[in-house]
Amino acid sequence: MSERSEANAPHPRKEPRLPGPLSLARLEEVFSDCVDFSKREVYLHGDRQRKAVVCYIDGQARSERLNDYVLRPLAQNPMLASAPEGELFSLLERGALYAQSAKRETELDPVAFALIDGSCALFLEGRDDCLVFPVATEEKRSVGEPENEPALKGARDSFVESLRTNTSLVRRRMRAPELKIREHVVGRQSLTPVDVLWIDGIADQNTVELLEQRLESIDIDGVEAAGNLEEYLVDAAKSPFPLMPYTQRPDRFCQGLLEGRVGLFADGIPLGWLLPGTIDQFFKTGQDRAYHWLVASALSLIRWLCALITLLVPGLYIALVTFHPEAIPPKLALSIVAAKQEVPFSTIFEVLIMLLAFEVIQEAGLRLPGPIGATVSILGGLVVGNAAVEAHIVSPAVLIAVAIAGVAGYTMPSQDFGNALRLWRFLLAVLASVGGLFGLAMGCAGLIYHLAGLESFGVPYLAPFTTGTKVPRGHPSLLRLPLPAMKWRDGPVKTRNRRNQR
Amino acid sequence: MKKWLVPLLPALWLLMSGCTGLPAAREMGDMALLRTMGVDVSPAGVAITGSTGPRAKGIQGEGQGALILEADRESLSVACLAIQGQSDSYVFFGYVEQLLVGQGLAERGVRPVLDYFARDAQLGLGAQMWLVRADTARQALAAGGDQGVESRLETIRNDSKMGIAQFTRTAGEVYTDLLELGCGYIPALAPDGEGGAVLAERGYAILRGESLAGYLDGEAAKGLEMLAGGAQTDILQAEVAGNKVSVKMTMAHTRSHLEFQGGRPSSLKLACKVEGRLAEYERRLSDPERQELKEMLERQEQARLEEAMKWLQAWGTDCAGLGAKAAAGRPIQWQRIRESWPEWFSQVPVEIRVEVNI
Repeated sequence: MSERSEANAPHPRKEPRLPGPLSLARLEEVFSDCVDFSKREVYLHGDRQRKAVVCYIDGQARSERLNDYVLRPLAQNPMLASAPEGELFSLLERGALYAQSAKRETELDPVAFALIDGSCALFLEGRDDCLVFPVATEEKRSVGEPENEPALKGARDSFVESLRTNTSLVRRRMRAPELKIREHVVGRQSLTPVDVLWIDGIADQNTVELLEQRLESIDIDGVEAAGNLEEYLVDAAKSPFPLMPYTQRPDRFCQGLLEGRVGLFADGIPLGWLLPGTIDQFFKTGQDRAYHWLVASALSLIRWLCALITLLVPGLYIALVTFHPEAIPPKLALSIVAAKQEVPFSTIFEVLIMLLAFEVIQEAGLRLPGPIGATVSILGGLVVGNAAVEAHIVSPAVLIAVAIAGVAGYTMPSQDFGNALRLWRFLLAVLASVGGLFGLAMGCAGLIYHLAGLESFGVPYLAPFTTGTKVPRGHPSLLRLPLPAMKWRDGPVKTRNRRNQR
Repeated sequence: MKKWLVPLLPALWLLMSGCTGLPAAREMGDMALLRTMGVDVSPAGVAITGSTGPRAKGIQGEGQGALILEADRESLSVACLAIQGQSDSYVFFGYVEQLLVGQGLAERGVRPVLDYFARDAQLGLGAQMWLVRADTARQALAAGGDQGVESRLETIRNDSKMGIAQFTRTAGEVYTDLLELGCGYIPALAPDGEGGAVLAERGYAILRGESLAGYLDGEAAKGLEMLAGGAQTDILQAEVAGNKVSVKMTMAHTRSHLEFQGGRPSSLKLACKVEGRLAEYERRLSDPERQELKEMLERQEQARLEEAMKWLQAWGTDCAGLGAKAAAGRPIQWQRIRESWPEWFSQVPVEIRVEVNI
């Protein structure tokens, strides 16, 4: 094999990563060129004959804990100077230091990773094994309000980047010991802890196993973005539609667990996924169960309607105005004709350009800091739009059609789903400009075919509208029935406990 | 489903739909939308007049007058094509909502026009059909001037839906009647007002076969409306014991029954139920007075029906479909006389019974 092809071949993953026995010298060698690796030599109660070395990573270990619970007892506890040397190690392990746990390690690999996680390692002179004490820092963002899913009537906490905080937020709401949390490590270099959560007896055990298998098979460098998990766990490459719904809200996450879904957290990503994902999950909000069922149902229907509007309106406008004008009511047709008379561009070009301009303005608004972003939106949307209409560059009807489609897209609770609709909106507009209503109908048929072909962890994406799971669904997904009538969990494919109330 | 089936299915669908290609795109900005079409006879064959009605121009919508296009050619299709060449815009026939037929053409036959409307890709049988009485459709359209006649015809149609104008009929309804009953009726209009600038309702034109048989006016027209199942704009005046009373008729429903003797129709019985309400009176009516009013109204309504039936029988045109309605109870006998029903309709004695409820 040539040198180049060797470099391109995947490197085999080493387990353990740092093989071999532990020694202070080997540990120092591992962390050579690491400026944050620190080593402190301490005389036990001032006895120069008894020396201990404490190793830790600066910034990962909390200095107050290190000082108060490890270094202070080592320096001040007279028992450490008087105890027989043979018992010293066992004395430290069993309570001479004030740490919640102390673990004796003899291998290099676990000690190195414990230091990275914020523990300190205590070596005694003349011994190669060590004691590991957890003194990790807890510096992290405090639990705040969910910015993407604001709550008007409900809990205001949201997930943060710290995995353990997130699991504690869930555990506080779901006190049942049946809530299981299992941890996996993903990423060769990032070694990101990823937790799988489910309620034993409610969730589908096959889904849990499948998820864990897929997590184990992920062999990537690091989990720095949500896509690092999503695109490896589901076959996302063939579809722009999201297959893993996520939430920032612990209450909504817990509701998903109660429906029998399997939860997933990754350290450093302030959101939780719920699996399997079906299309209706992307239309639900955290507020659905807080509002009156009639209001929630009406809002749900509006969101579905808005999805159709954002998807179809540009294509429908092109098809009707360019190919099937007879389908437009006469008075509206007269207005369109009047507005279109002095516009030099074709309707197809106008709509596609306006759709593109809409995306550009939106992207510019997102990339700029808040106040400037708002200014760009106003400048782009109002001033340029109005000027373009007055200069007869675009017709007002096109501007209205594109704006309605754009605004309707913002009603999608899931940004990912909204983005997929935006892509398909372009495709349908192009098809409509080629074949009119026929092209649009073909595009819609293609979209339905595409959606029908998707599945998430064995559950068809369109499961709310099909019987693909062979499981009767208890309530229509378009509506939010009164809660006493919603007796069935529709998350799991198989469960021993499908009924959620008496 | 197999992957290779995916492109195959739409292709199959396309072939089965009879499509030979994708539809042609046409920008609406350079279209002249015809709203009204008039058809007359002419020395060349047929005369077509199209009107766009008042048009808006530009985004401010400053008004432009109605565009009137005319062509006299040997056939409808050639005339329509000729109209295309007269405008600087593409003339689009898909918005023709009003079809005016001149009396001359109605005398010659309206079937070719209706056939053309049924077959044409842009025109449709949903257009309202009117007959211009004692004049040509071209004159009627020209009389509208810059404002066109579209809004006037639209108003009559809306009034008709509310029961305050005479019946309106679509080209499709007339076409169906001609095909099924062999006769039909069309609301008639005539230029009125100063210089004939306004089109006014003038009863109904009765078609036999496909050509004009005559007109029903006044009481006979009201009688036809009652036979056809309505009571349009009908306020009856009466004087009961010196008390002047106005009664607004709100509903009329006629049931027909055909009697047979020896397989031949022996009588056509019409039972008409009319409902009305007192609109005006000088003093409250007593029960005997109310009964007297009821009998007077019944006599008036009966006279209307008799007048209408007299003319319809004279022309042999059962355009209210009385025979077909009556046949529901006697299907076997009806099948035997169905073909010759126009002749039987002229001969069969008619018994009319009217019941008025106030």
